[in-house]
Amino acid sequence: MIFMVDLVYTQPLKELLQIAVYFREPTIVLVNNEKDEKVAKLNTLIPCYLFTEKTTDSELNKFRGKLKAVLGGSIKANELAVKIKADFLISPSNTKQFFDLALAKKLAENNTTVVFMFEELMKLNSFERHLYWKNYLEVVNYCKLKKTKFVVASGSKDALHVRPKIVRLCLAQMLGYPKELANSSIEQGFK
Amino acid sequence: MKIVKVKKSTIPLSKRERKRYILFEILNAQVNEKDFYFGFWIELLSFFGSKGLAEINPKIVLFKENKVIIKCKRGKEMELIGGTALVDKIRNKKIILNPLLTSGTIRTLKEFAKI
Repeated sequence: MIFMVDLVYTQPLKELLQIAVYFREPTIVLVNNEKDEKVAKLNTLIPCYLFTEKTTDSELNKFRGKLKAVLGGSIKANELAVKIKADFLISPSNTKQFFDLALAKKLAENNTTVVFMFEELMKLNSFERHLYWKNYLEVVNYCKLKKTKFVVASGSKDALHVRPKIVRLCLAQMLGYPKELANSSIEQGFK
Repeated sequence: MKIVKVKKSTIPLSKRERKRYILFEILNAQVNEKDFYFGFWIELLSFFGSKGLAEINPKIVLFKENKVIIKCKRGKEMELIGGTALVDKIRNKKIILNPLLTSGTIRTLKEFAKI
């Protein structure tokens, strides 16, 4: 099945489901444990395990064969996404740049999607926002060169910060990602 | 001295700048037009700056029943839709701006929205 990729953090279900139904987009929920995974599956949401650089090898082995996302934002975390062949690399850089051409190439080989979390941008002040935007312009440029998948996701902990598909596509295009690639990245198939 | 009134020449329709109209829907809260105008403008100005906003040239054309029609320059629709994603609060009411349709005429949008 083909889904529109939109990642959000675990949050109150009722509001999230209302929004997901209204926008007709089944969202991917980032979960940390099996309990959250079951709840998400029961409510027609797609669970995806979230790993950080502190995650141990035993935890990584435990969730083999499931959707995996790595929270980037440091060199170690970005390398972890390459190492475990994660499905998503969330926020590879923030106000500091941790993304380069070599990483983009490896991610493209692993078929990993780079995710820009929109809510992170919203939280920042105007000075930090410009740094963040500047770094992502660079990230998108590398992704474009190596044809790495890039997606803008809501990334919210509140259902009212979820944005519809067209808005996320526009933001990806504003960052310089080509329209065709943005469309193909946002529509992905999962087992 | 006699003052002679010179009739201003109008730009013919075919040579005027093209524009696009975008229909937005405000979800979650009821807001009035003035509050919306203020909140919308502040967010876009902080994101695009004066130059960027002048290039987009957005104008609120119609506000009715939580549906808004906003005019912008042709080719700048993408920036406007992307920019409106940043509008999340108006008068401490959380809202979502959902773009429904883009068109070259207001009539199409009015028919679509039934307003």
